[in-house]
Amino acid sequence: MSKIVRPEDSVLRRFLLLELFAGLWVTLKHQFRPHVTQEYPRERPELRPRFRGVPRLRDHPGAEGPLCVACNQCALACPDHCITVVAEDRKGGKGKQPKSFHIDYERCCHCGLCVDACPTKPITAIYMSHDYEMAQYARDDFMTDLRGLYEGHVPREYKR
Amino acid sequence: MFGTTEMQINMGPQHPSTHGVLRLELKLDGERIVDTRPVIGYLHRGCEKLGEDRTYAQAIVYTDRMDYCAAFAENLVYAEAVERLLGVEVPPRAQYMRVVLAELQRIASHLIWLGTHAMDIGALTVFVYGMREREFILDLFESYCGARLTYNAVRVGGMPEEFPEGWVEEARRFCDVLPSRLDEYHQLLTANRIWLARTRGVGTIDGKTALDWGMTGPCLRGSGVAYDVRKAIPYEAYADLDFDVPIGEAGDTYDRYLCRMEEIRQSRRIVLQALDKLPGGEIRGKVPRRIKPPKGEVYHVNEGPRGELGVYLVSDGSEHAYRCRFRSPNFVNLQALPDMVRGHLVADVVAVIGTLDIVLGCVDR
Ligand code: SF4
Ligand code: SF4
Repeated sequence: MSKIVRPEDSVLRRFLLLELFAGLWVTLKHQFRPHVTQEYPRERPELRPRFRGVPRLRDHPGAEGPLCVACNQCALACPDHCITVVAEDRKGGKGKQPKSFHIDYERCCHCGLCVDACPTKPITAIYMSHDYEMAQYARDDFMTDLRGLYEGHVPREYKR
Repeated sequence: MFGTTEMQINMGPQHPSTHGVLRLELKLDGERIVDTRPVIGYLHRGCEKLGEDRTYAQAIVYTDRMDYCAAFAENLVYAEAVERLLGVEVPPRAQYMRVVLAELQRIASHLIWLGTHAMDIGALTVFVYGMREREFILDLFESYCGARLTYNAVRVGGMPEEFPEGWVEEARRFCDVLPSRLDEYHQLLTANRIWLARTRGVGTIDGKTALDWGMTGPCLRGSGVAYDVRKAIPYEAYADLDFDVPIGEAGDTYDRYLCRMEEIRQSRRIVLQALDKLPGGEIRGKVPRRIKPPKGEVYHVNEGPRGELGVYLVSDGSEHAYRCRFRSPNFVNLQALPDMVRGHLVADVVAVIGTLDIVLGCVDR
């Protein structure tokens, strides 16, 4: 435990407005420092490798066919119930593969729990992509099917 | 002949300086405040009920959304409560990682407080500078867990991932630049006569009244009561770390300001110590995939940036909590607002809301 120290106050300091000039000096120094802001649509932020955008699906050259085995673990782990998987028999092999796979991006909160739950090896079939520009005109457009999950949404750029 | 009548005025819920959607019913005599009634609930999302509907692992995601300026502290207290229910030990490395992240979160949260508090009072520059330093911490969190605000960065029984390569060095670099930046904030504010006029003697509350209201955190310590959960009931690795708890004297806005500024320095000390002492080994304890705690109940607290965060959980042996309740320091601290602003001017209400450092997401849950 330690008491905080209140700064000294003196009539002379007050009279000479010293503390105001000290503050102005700080802001003045900043005029000559490099800028730290980003002009967003023109400059893109540099994302860290672990950045969590919307979840998407991927394949792996080591696995035949789709990597996802339609086990439904991700749908069970999701706190927002936004994943729907329908399974069918795997074409030319044992096990299952997704017949349809939907993620409702409107409800997804980017928590990453679905990725934790995915059991596929060597990488998880579902992964947190680096897509973050997700604005759409209609609510239906957020419902993303297998194709959208593999290829990702293409952000539309508007130029004036 | 020129008698005054009392007037009732609504401040908020869309007032820019109420830090969210808080409505205050002010009863005024001219410009003086006779009485205040905070009206809350505009941001209620039912986090407690959701905590009873979702599994223990999923509920951590909802704790993110309560105090969105300090999501890590909320994640942590919930995970700790479940760990106590389960009776699992967290490996030492995970404990130290939690301390590092929790203290970085405290610094980030205090920087937001500093920025918005100063901006409400009229010093815009500090807000911009504070946000710049906070960006460092958000980058650190992004690099650790991938999210910048709602982290979901704790798992029951440990931590989800190791620090990525170069993370520790980056955190050290941040700790190296922080003191010089703090000095700049002090130069801008601490002796500034406008700042002094707006904060000294405003929103005074003495230690006993603060305790009676149940206030915790820097708001209580500013009034001279030395209570900090990290010292009183040490959790995680705090018992092995050396740090001071700054306490104020007068219990006014200025003292709370100085307390929090000193807390930033102390948090930096803790981060550096914890990074030095970071032990090796596992980061996840033995927790089954499906978390099913035995029947029982637990109340667990830890020290969030705004005060004592508490979680009360009742388990009926299933995958969901039977009852989930959060003690939000913001909600409790806010109740003292009428006492703190009585007799002051309307403009001082803004200063007091700032010094209480409320986050409406946590007040309403
Ligand atoms: S990131 Fe979270 S909310 Fe989104 S689909 Fe995965 S589990 Fe569900
Ligand atoms: S993405 Fe992973 S967890 Fe989800 S169904 Fe496919 S294999 Fe299972």
